[in-house]
Amino acid sequence: MLKDEVEAVPAPREARFAVPSDGTLIRARNLWKTYSMGEAEVHALSGVSFEVRRGDYVAIMGPSGSGKSTLMNLIGCLDTPTRGEYWLNGRLVSEFSDEELAYIRNKEIGFVFQTFNLLGRSTALRNVELPLIYNGTPAVERLERAKEALARVDLATRMDHKPSELSGGQRQRVAIARALVNDPSLLLADEPTGNLDTATGLEILALFDRLHQGGNTIVVVTHESDVARHAQRVIHIRDGKIDRDEAMR
Amino acid sequence: MATDVQTRVVSGSRLQPHMSLWFTAREAFGIALGELRSHKLRSFLTLLGIVISTTTLIVVMAVVNGLNVYVATHVANLGTNTFVLSQMRWTHTSYKDYLEALRHSRRIEPSEFELLRNDLPGYEHMGAAASMTVPEVKYGRQVMEDTQLVGATPGMADIGQTEVAYGRYISASDILHHSLVCFIGHDLVQKLFPGADPIGNEIFVRGIPFRVIGAAKAIGTTFGQSQDNFLHIPLTTYEQMFVTRPNLNIFVQARDASQMGTLEDEARELLRVRRHIPYNEKDTFAINTSEELMETWHELTGSLFASSIGVVAVFMVIGGIVIMNIMLASVTERYHEIGIRKSLGARRRDILMQFLIESIAMAGAGGAVGVILAFVVTFLVRVLFVVASVPVTAVVIGLLLSGTAGLFFGIYPASKAARLDPIEALRREG
Repeated sequence: MLKDEVEAVPAPREARFAVPSDGTLIRARNLWKTYSMGEAEVHALSGVSFEVRRGDYVAIMGPSGSGKSTLMNLIGCLDTPTRGEYWLNGRLVSEFSDEELAYIRNKEIGFVFQTFNLLGRSTALRNVELPLIYNGTPAVERLERAKEALARVDLATRMDHKPSELSGGQRQRVAIARALVNDPSLLLADEPTGNLDTATGLEILALFDRLHQGGNTIVVVTHESDVARHAQRVIHIRDGKIDRDEAMR
Repeated sequence: MATDVQTRVVSGSRLQPHMSLWFTAREAFGIALGELRSHKLRSFLTLLGIVISTTTLIVVMAVVNGLNVYVATHVANLGTNTFVLSQMRWTHTSYKDYLEALRHSRRIEPSEFELLRNDLPGYEHMGAAASMTVPEVKYGRQVMEDTQLVGATPGMADIGQTEVAYGRYISASDILHHSLVCFIGHDLVQKLFPGADPIGNEIFVRGIPFRVIGAAKAIGTTFGQSQDNFLHIPLTTYEQMFVTRPNLNIFVQARDASQMGTLEDEARELLRVRRHIPYNEKDTFAINTSEELMETWHELTGSLFASSIGVVAVFMVIGGIVIMNIMLASVTERYHEIGIRKSLGARRRDILMQFLIESIAMAGAGGAVGVILAFVVTFLVRVLFVVASVPVTAVVIGLLLSGTAGLFFGIYPASKAARLDPIEALRREG
């Protein structure tokens, strides 16, 4: 049934793989996400449209239940919209299969989570290597790139430590190194400072600023305005719709 | 729809990402061993079924293998290219079969041996022997009990049924003169002549003195029974002093293996003619070969092996189910980890592979422990009970089988893990 709805709004076929020349990285058009709870239908997102350009630093803000997590899952290619088009780096991701989504997540997106989501059994280095393992990077290159990514977040000296042996800020930096190791087109952070104290949170935000200046495109999902203040642009979500889209700097 | 996908793959210039299988294998193997090490009791219980079934399989194969070699060399070894003519077959399929054979057969007479010796063309060696057990053999005050007394012809040594250690074997002249001489086994040498040379001394069987002319090389034991407690005397002497009409076994050695069949047929034909057996009636004697004895033996061990397969299968299935259970628990425990891996780009098949390898590694570890245990048990069996030796194939089969059980029973948990929705999986706390 959901499938039918997707096919009801077909994209112009020739446009599906058009590589945008205008520097647009994300193009969301009329995104809907509907969950059926028994008889009733709940619209987590009802018609969200926006664009993110290459090199942007965007914050998505909203209270809990506003649909910002759902939006993050769509942006992060963990899920597909019920209706609407989601273009990422010239690909119409909203019609991709599970298999293809996994590929996109690996290649185009670097996740940074609130709870870090590191593998507890593996060392920092192994954690950072993981995305490279899933795209078949040869071992020598993998090691080199993982070390390089750890150096970029000033953790070159702690790479043989397990997450439990690292501080919260260090863990988040490992997670950021992991997100960067594949040179993704988008760094997607979900409440990156939520589990950190203020000082460490500021460190992480400073790191984001640095990465942004280095040319990375960053989308941060947060409910803290202190975090959103670092972005160039804030998209406010309320009740599954874009409430306000303001430029900060 | 299919063309859609194709276009997408081509025009999207999508690299087919592939995970390095070797890396997954190593990682999954490490995780499996780590899990096993950190929960020792649980691991023991988990792998018990696999261990038992692997051990059972290998030990049974080891014992059967050992016994096969043993029987081939000790029991069913009639000598190179040798067959034996005797009254009855040495093996019977049933008791009824045995009674039937008993009714229809007749003993082999010394005159029949003479006939074969003179008229059978193209044999290498031929010997005849008849035997009985005598309660006592004496030398001075030394007594040997339950000795096998064999009336033999010189050919028995030529065929290789017995080997001369020193002195000589029974000669044609001994046969001709019904000499009171004997050729003794190693047990008699040790018991009656400790530390002395037996040659030339006289030993007494039922009060009759026999002069020792030679001694045999030690043979050893078969199933705990000494094979060296024997005394060979000339067949003619045996007939004269002990059994007037002995029931002979005639040992015939062919020049080479290819002539065995022809020689058997010739001997059979000669005996049938001699005994006036009509063409449409069965032989009243039997021809025994090593192959035939081994065949009977293989039938016996085959059924032993088949029944053990049942036990192995049951334990293997139990072991597999336990592993499946543990793997299911492991998948549930690691939802979060699976979510992380999926968010980083792991595809279904990557996750599937990881858990399958883990399951195989776990079962394989059980199999390896089973192999080690099997070697220990086999060693004990060899020391305490019967011959046994572990064949390499048993080890390979044991490991392959346990690995296969791991693979088969890992499919369900692994596919469950692979099918997880990344968002759901990430939501679970790790």
